[in-house]
Amino acid sequence: MLSIKKLHARVEETTILKGLDMEIKPGEVHAVMGPNGAGKSTLGYVLSGRDGYEVESGTVEFEGKDLLDMEVEERAQAGLFLAFQYPVEIPGVSNMEFMKESVNAMREGRGETPLSSAEFLKKAKAACKQVELPLDFLKRGVNEGFSGGEKKRNEIMQLILLEPKLAILDESDSGLDVDALQVVAKGVNSQRDGKRSFIVVTHYQRLLDYIEPDYVHILSNGKIVKSGGPELAKEVESSGYAWLKEGENA
Amino acid sequence: MSEQIDQALERKYDAGFVSEIESETFAPGLNEDVIRRLSAMKDEPEWMTEWRLQAYRKWLKMEEPEWAHVDYPKIDYQSISYYSAPKSMKDKPKSLDEVDPELLRTYEKLGIPLHEQEMLAGVAVDAVFDSVSVVTTFREKLEEAGVIFCPISEALHKYPDLVKKYLGTVVPKGDNYFAALNSAVFTDGSFVYIPKGVRCPMELSTYFRINEQNTGQFERTLIVAEEGSHVSYLEGCTAPQRDENQLHAAVVELVALDDAEIKYSTVQNWYPGDENGKGGIYNFVTKRGLCEKNAKISWTQVETGSAVTWKYPSCILKGDNSVGEFYSVALTRGKQQADTGTKMIHLGKNTKSTIISKGISAGRSNNAYRGLVRMGPGAEGARNFTECDSLLIGDQCGAHTFPYIESSNPTAIVEHEATTSKVSDDQLFLCRQRGLDPEKAVSMIVNGFCKEVFRELPMEFAVEAGKLLEISLEGSVG
Amino acid sequence: MSQWLAHVIDRAANVDDWLSPVRANALAELKQKDWPGRRTEAWRYTSLHKVADLNLATNSQQTAEAPLVDGLNSIDLVFVDGRLTTDIAALNLPAGVSVQSLETKNEAADKLFGKIKPEHHLFGLVNDVLAQQGVVIDIADAAEVDQPIRIVNVATDGIESHHRTLVRLGNNAKAKIIEHGVGNDHSLNTVFAEYDIGDNAKLEHYRLALHEGNAIHVGGSHFRLHNQSRLNSTLVGYGSQLTRLDVDIEHAGEHAFAKFNNIYLLAPNEHFDLHSTIEHAQPNGTTEENARGIIGDKAKAVFNGRIHIHRHAQKTLAELNNRNLLLTRGAQINTKPELEIYADDVQCAHGATVAEIDEEALYYLLTRGIDRQQALIMLNFGFVQELLFQMPNRALADWLHPILKQRFERMMEQR
Repeated sequence: MLSIKKLHARVEETTILKGLDMEIKPGEVHAVMGPNGAGKSTLGYVLSGRDGYEVESGTVEFEGKDLLDMEVEERAQAGLFLAFQYPVEIPGVSNMEFMKESVNAMREGRGETPLSSAEFLKKAKAACKQVELPLDFLKRGVNEGFSGGEKKRNEIMQLILLEPKLAILDESDSGLDVDALQVVAKGVNSQRDGKRSFIVVTHYQRLLDYIEPDYVHILSNGKIVKSGGPELAKEVESSGYAWLKEGENA
Repeated sequence: MSEQIDQALERKYDAGFVSEIESETFAPGLNEDVIRRLSAMKDEPEWMTEWRLQAYRKWLKMEEPEWAHVDYPKIDYQSISYYSAPKSMKDKPKSLDEVDPELLRTYEKLGIPLHEQEMLAGVAVDAVFDSVSVVTTFREKLEEAGVIFCPISEALHKYPDLVKKYLGTVVPKGDNYFAALNSAVFTDGSFVYIPKGVRCPMELSTYFRINEQNTGQFERTLIVAEEGSHVSYLEGCTAPQRDENQLHAAVVELVALDDAEIKYSTVQNWYPGDENGKGGIYNFVTKRGLCEKNAKISWTQVETGSAVTWKYPSCILKGDNSVGEFYSVALTRGKQQADTGTKMIHLGKNTKSTIISKGISAGRSNNAYRGLVRMGPGAEGARNFTECDSLLIGDQCGAHTFPYIESSNPTAIVEHEATTSKVSDDQLFLCRQRGLDPEKAVSMIVNGFCKEVFRELPMEFAVEAGKLLEISLEGSVG
Repeated sequence: MSQWLAHVIDRAANVDDWLSPVRANALAELKQKDWPGRRTEAWRYTSLHKVADLNLATNSQQTAEAPLVDGLNSIDLVFVDGRLTTDIAALNLPAGVSVQSLETKNEAADKLFGKIKPEHHLFGLVNDVLAQQGVVIDIADAAEVDQPIRIVNVATDGIESHHRTLVRLGNNAKAKIIEHGVGNDHSLNTVFAEYDIGDNAKLEHYRLALHEGNAIHVGGSHFRLHNQSRLNSTLVGYGSQLTRLDVDIEHAGEHAFAKFNNIYLLAPNEHFDLHSTIEHAQPNGTTEENARGIIGDKAKAVFNGRIHIHRHAQKTLAELNNRNLLLTRGAQINTKPELEIYADDVQCAHGATVAEIDEEALYYLLTRGIDRQQALIMLNFGFVQELLFQMPNRALADWLHPILKQRFERMMEQR
């Protein structure tokens, strides 16, 4: 589904990703772990096509197509979803209006007819309940005045509504208490259907107790330095990231 | 608590002494003959005399501006003397040894020793006393670098083509009432020329002193920075304590050609008048700079003196990618009135401007920020950021903000923010609880409030500015 | 001097009614006035040359329907070219509400006429001397009126008209008033309103200045707030050939609260000028003002927002925020937020921006698959929509929303 080969990318003058490789097949959940500054968030931004994140070399194929050649919204319509670590607030644009636009843009991308207001409302309400947000959140401005946890849940609600093929979760666990973490994880797990794939970016192992990955990769200094199964996350849990430095020195 | 603040604000004006110097002074009054005489005194070329007369004729048709948030009695322009110079300067002393020792002592008392060996290393000074330049230091050293730094009266003789080429190009002679008056009667001031690609090896500085009674000071400064050159220029001003108001109407023109950079800093400490508003300088000044491609002009001002200030150092950002900056601290006390700010005129693409203004009002003073940010139709991708903060000390003063924003380019971004605050009892209490006396506390809070501007000053001046603020808040820090 | 103004002064001499003594003072002052030019600060960015030689008819027999607002259920007072076309006697008024025509002598009008509106405004003076028709609304002490009262002014082709609204809210009273103005054709319509809001009274107010095309609309809404009173006002304006509005809010009592939102959406050649002045004359007052404008095509907007804190108005909280978006190369904005502060223990701030879209928000929408053009529309319109959401009257907001959205979409097409 996603094939990243020797990806180098920079922000302004600084190269952040330095030859990243990754292969993701349908239905797989890949966890990307690593210390602060390893390039974890950059990966999500580069894949989604954010301005200012420049690919220097390497290739990314998404379902056989050149992802890097596509506009931000084209990538989204092709089925790539990014759940933000810090979702932006957009006062004045209601959550409902925003998500309806978005859902229908996706449907159009898949050649489906747009949902009517009533159909959409039904789905939105269900999604809202699933992530345990009060219904009036649909009427409020996008992320406006939401707490950190509410913003994360709002992202997962969009994940549920938009039904992407590949979802990248950028530190969706940061700043959450255990209850909120479970809500987020439950939302994500409900979308695991054997076809949909996930990249779960996280600093801590904690989230992986709830969203069990098939593969774990350790990202350090812009490269995957180690890959393995779920046991690798446990290893990080007990020994931290300090060993990375020793490795570098050696 | 507020009583303690009041005490902390009691003023002392250290520069208020009079020097006993015999001067040659024109009788008060202004007409074409006075201008011709003045021009003749300075042995000026004919075009200069004619230029002055044209300015005078324009001035006669103009009206004194009334839009500023200041209030002062009508000025009688016929009661002012338009020329005054120490007699000893008549023979143009060749070196410092020939300069009247009383003059040198005056500057020494003001903390500006003119003997090069005693000076702050790295600062060249042009000392202007009433209507004439007394001495310009470090000239040889500057000449080695190709930098011209001399009185403008001298430049008119030595470099007439340069002066003629640039004089009045940034501030035209009929620009505004006070600029027109200055153009007609300006007496001296500094001329700076930095050749292409030269980084001026030292800070340049002019020190203005009004001494004589009933005179006005009308100096004119012209700085030309050729392509890729760089200069930092400082100006300071003081005047004796007198009961009458005196007029200071200066014009400063800056020309920054492609890739050049001019940093212009002012510490203005003209006599502000007494507690009841008696006496003091009317400081009506026009300062403007023109930026060509990639050029940068940065104005920094610390305004603590003058009874009335009317001053808007501005930048015309004509060249693409040019940058304008304005950093200002204006402190008013007693019955001082200040109406000051800047104009940033964005004409070129991707031009950038930053305005940081800190106004501190105390006593019964009024302090206004007035600014204009204009994004012209061609100001593609231009940006401005403005921050205006006012600090009120006591409930008898006023703090005002009048920002004009005009934009006609959809890609230009303008951001303006203004806030007001006071020195709160809580802040004072905290400082005192930590062992500071209230005067020190006020001074510290005010200094903190101004930090963003002070750090823009050249080092030599930052110290002076800090001190000046302390003296201005006298009693607070001895 | 303008021919039009000379004509106004001539006509004023012939006005003879129970308000004549008040009008005489206004006329005397009007005669002293200079015709505003570029050097007149209040008219710096708005030229009056289109008014200077105006010569329109002053009597009209036109009839017109008031625009219908679904679900508003308001008591409507309809004026066509300044002439009252509603039969007041036939209205079914809630308890505590009195409505009278300005033509009949009454005490409430006597106490209000020209007492709240600042004296200096040229067109206010013109309205003082010429506005013979209008409405006087008195809300009795403690009356809580839930049904909105709407004053509709329709300006028709070729007519000059002048209208005055006077409103008193008694102590502890509550009311909702909508000033609704429309007109597309060549006309001059001055509409001034004065509001006296009693102790602890609460006014919800709207001014819709929806004039377009060749209409010239000049007017003002002027409020005096007494102790503990509350004002929530929203102004929505188009530009028309020339629209100039002055809003003054005076905190004459302590602990008053004023919220003032305004929205302007301008295209194609429209000129809109809003001057607001907040006078904090007493301590402990609060004002929140938000102005948002989108300017398209070759339209021009002028915003002047002044906050004046008087010497003894300690503990005032006052904030003003003005944000503008230019959509096109021909569009222009001139904005001036002003602070004039004479008390130290206050919290005042203002901000003004002229800006493009927030890039981060745009990116967020794009990652959700929304195409760029649509995302721009959502974000740009969201900018004014935010203030629409804040309108307490949902029916009015719901009615305005599609109208403004359509206008905005046309503006985006003309980019």
